[in-house]
Amino acid sequence: MMATRQARHRLGMKIGVIAGLCIGAVFAGFPVVWMLSTSFKTNGEVFQVPPRLITANLSFDAYWKILSNPANLRFFLNSYIVALWVTALTLLTAILAAYAFSRYEFRLKRFINVAIVSVQAVPPITLVIPFFGLVVALGLYNTYGGLIITHMVFTLPYAIIMTTAYFNTLPRELDESVKVDGGRGWTALWRILVPISVPGLIAVGIYTFMISWNEYLFALTLTRTDDMRTVPIGIQLLMGQHSYEWNQMMAMSILGSIPVLILFLIFQRRFIGGLTSGAVKS
Amino acid sequence: MEPANIDRTVFPEAAALEAESPTFSARGRRRPFAVRNLAPYGYISPTLLLIFVLMVIPIAMVVSYSFQDNVIVQKNPVFAGLANYTKVLTDPVFLTAIKNTLIFITLSTIAHLVLGLAFAMMLNTGLLSGLTKAVFRIIYILPWLFTIAVVAVIWRLMLDPYGVINYILTSIGVLQSEVNWLASPSTALWALTFINIWSGYPFFMISLLAGLQGISADLYEAAAVDGANGIQRFFNVTIPQLKPVLISMAVLDLIWTSQQFALIWMTTGGGPLNVTEMLSTYTYKQAFSSYEFATASAAAVIVLLLTMIMAFFYVRQLRER
Amino acid sequence: MTGETTRFRSRRTRLLGVVTAAILAVAAAGCGTGSGEGSAGSSAQGGAVTLEFAQWWGAELPEGSFQELMTEFESQNPNIKVKLLSAPYASTKQQLVSGAASKTLPDVVGLDGAWVNDFAKQGAITDLSALMADAKYDESQLASQIKVDGKTYMIPVVNFVYPLFVNKDLLSKAGVKAVPSTRSEFLDAAKKISALGGNVKGWALPLDTAVPNGVQNDVMSWLWASGGSMLTQDGKPNLTSPPVKSAVDYVKSLNDAGVIAPGALTMKEQDKVEKFTAGQVGMIIDSMAHINLIKKNSPDLHFTVAPIPAEDSFTGKRGIPYASWGVGIADSTQHKAEAFKLVQFLMSKEANAKLSTLANGFPGNNTAEPDFSKSDPLFKTAFDIYRKGYPANEFVGLPKSEDLMRTFAENLQLVLAGKQSVDDALNKTQQSWASVI
Repeated sequence: MMATRQARHRLGMKIGVIAGLCIGAVFAGFPVVWMLSTSFKTNGEVFQVPPRLITANLSFDAYWKILSNPANLRFFLNSYIVALWVTALTLLTAILAAYAFSRYEFRLKRFINVAIVSVQAVPPITLVIPFFGLVVALGLYNTYGGLIITHMVFTLPYAIIMTTAYFNTLPRELDESVKVDGGRGWTALWRILVPISVPGLIAVGIYTFMISWNEYLFALTLTRTDDMRTVPIGIQLLMGQHSYEWNQMMAMSILGSIPVLILFLIFQRRFIGGLTSGAVKS
Repeated sequence: MEPANIDRTVFPEAAALEAESPTFSARGRRRPFAVRNLAPYGYISPTLLLIFVLMVIPIAMVVSYSFQDNVIVQKNPVFAGLANYTKVLTDPVFLTAIKNTLIFITLSTIAHLVLGLAFAMMLNTGLLSGLTKAVFRIIYILPWLFTIAVVAVIWRLMLDPYGVINYILTSIGVLQSEVNWLASPSTALWALTFINIWSGYPFFMISLLAGLQGISADLYEAAAVDGANGIQRFFNVTIPQLKPVLISMAVLDLIWTSQQFALIWMTTGGGPLNVTEMLSTYTYKQAFSSYEFATASAAAVIVLLLTMIMAFFYVRQLRER
Repeated sequence: MTGETTRFRSRRTRLLGVVTAAILAVAAAGCGTGSGEGSAGSSAQGGAVTLEFAQWWGAELPEGSFQELMTEFESQNPNIKVKLLSAPYASTKQQLVSGAASKTLPDVVGLDGAWVNDFAKQGAITDLSALMADAKYDESQLASQIKVDGKTYMIPVVNFVYPLFVNKDLLSKAGVKAVPSTRSEFLDAAKKISALGGNVKGWALPLDTAVPNGVQNDVMSWLWASGGSMLTQDGKPNLTSPPVKSAVDYVKSLNDAGVIAPGALTMKEQDKVEKFTAGQVGMIIDSMAHINLIKKNSPDLHFTVAPIPAEDSFTGKRGIPYASWGVGIADSTQHKAEAFKLVQFLMSKEANAKLSTLANGFPGNNTAEPDFSKSDPLFKTAFDIYRKGYPANEFVGLPKSEDLMRTFAENLQLVLAGKQSVDDALNKTQQSWASVI
């Protein structure tokens, strides 16, 4: 009797969760569905009333136009290269800094913490021109390097804060077990802390990748030629003076998101399964 | 310094378990490492280098601009003292911008937190198969994949008076006639906030999902043993365990949302009638339309100071374990 | 945590590390620097000069046609190579300001007339009068030059006029016999079109404040079409004068009659065109450059162009608003003479005519004859309207013109929302303008 009631309770919960998930899915996914729909329309049909999901002139025209333009392919490649480097370097730097914040006490710690959080507060618009001058002076104008370090500056604060938070949930005993064996802090960091924090690091990595991938203002300002530009600029190039190429814009966004989605698919499995729960217990 | 996260009087078993856990005991016996150790400075040096060269220097330049006049677009910069600051602080549009920004960021952050947590919990449930959860995970992360220009454009298209949203809402009878979501002074700010909520919640969802993974299942079991139902477990185990992550993300989101520019510019441009004028659009107009870089810099410095105050309180409440 | 788990975990970590390293290796293979890394601006190697030309025009022209023109220039000038740079149109001005501040402006820049005053003051663009004098250039062939303090800073290459576009189908459906030529006829036609119901309205007014061109194209155009002016003889704002008041009153009356398409307060120029193309708006004031666009997106739409309606009793020459693709030379360039050669080419009779035909605009060289034979007869109509009237855009050459337009737009928005009277709006805008001009 008890079992059936519990089973029915579970079933009820399950239906409730699925219903909630479906409503959420409509909220999250409808605009994307509309994007897809627009990418298959002709430009004239975009503003048609009443709006239709699928129109008479369904075509892959927009996609062909995007893919057959070598400049666009270069944009994709550039976005990837920059975003991957930014993610790798930011994670590396953030892990080091987070270790210091989490495991050590030192003077200036609070000050640096406040500084790191607050530098994000300056409106990027006002930073554009000084930044521009600085990057030119460093000789990094119109290079991958310029974009990479710029994006790192924007993603580091968050990466450090979150990694520190994740490290803080790990007890010092773990470090000590390494030290007892004669290891140093460095070993403790890389052999113990990092492997356990992998889900958190993946979240930070994904976030960093997204920020770099979607960044527009500085990518536009710090690049000059088509062989250095990134996908957001490519999309904005389709917004002409006289009209927008709606279907191509949507097509390019969809195309741009697919590989990112694949990356996410690959790494998301690390989220699942309480890798951490085992560690905390013992 | 807070005591055990779980209320011992209500859920003795769970609280005991938590007290035993290494996390808690570490809190009781703090072992600071040698202060004279230079190691932390070594670890933090790459960060300091990058942030110093690429952030502090430009910010210093911005601060210096704010005290001058005739910067950048004109050839003879002169020292202007606090004139720019007075100009900004007495500009009614600036004050409107602050008000709108506060509303915008507060609503956005709260909604992000709630939605992110709700979705993360639903995606973390044991009731569904891994495949189902994976599928929904993909769907929920979609808003994050698109650059903000595209988000602005597609929402503008959908929220057009004769666009699909109005069409659906009038067809099912929720609305009598088309609403001018983005062009009407009474709805523009809310519509904009809604769009921002849509585009930003995945960040919270992902971080909270990772955080949820870190909560030991034993804590939940012990709470269940103590007779806690689902809701009580949520408020007494989940929330306290997630608190550090929640607070960090809330502070960060407040800061980031206040920087949001492209979304506002491409949907409403700060109008109509300045109802969506934010600090970011105000600064942009000062810089690239009025060519008053000094004023824009002053506005930026004011924003920076306000945020530093918030950051200071945030850091103060961070406790090491 | 047992030793075994540690080993397993470290193996997984190692795997992750290897995967990451592999990705980075691939990325590094493609890593490098873009052409023209570090240095900005043109370069000169062994006599050959490479000019960088930043413009948004190539994207608006048929695929590859602008590059062809540049190739033609290069063949006429064997020592000069032209590298075309493009940027998203919406960010062009901001990029030029930033580039000027860091002295990384390309040698030749495409400009809009509204930006000239500010760029000249910034010292970003160079004095073209001096270059013209050096090259002994015949200035009489130029239809117009944009000057600041008596010196030319920009030469309009192609001009786009903004006539009235009329949807003939909607007109006849609404029972309007003739294309409106006076303001009252226009109001009447707009009312009848709006009476068709559904989502159809008579007129569209894009008053977006982010890019406030609507003030120039859709509001002031009424003033200029009746020969009026928003400035005094010596260039000071004159917004409280009767002609301006009558134009703004008229726009208000259109709004009160409910003939303006909804969403006016945040509508952008592109939206206005889209709605016309979709048959939702009966009449708009729009750039002739859109003629082909509308035909392409909506081949079944029957439309025509006409002069903008004037005040009922007005019989003089009607001003017609225009926007240009203009060209200027950066002050920081090392190759001013070569850059001017490119400008000369763009303004030469043949090249200018070709470019205008491709762009569906009117040539900036007044001896050039655009070839209308292959294009829509509407272009000829627009050309005749242009010839019969006079090009009118008082915002060109004004300082901070975008700001001026924005202040006007914001006050007009208050009027349309019923929160301010026309007189107050004009007074406030007048005061604001007086502090700038």
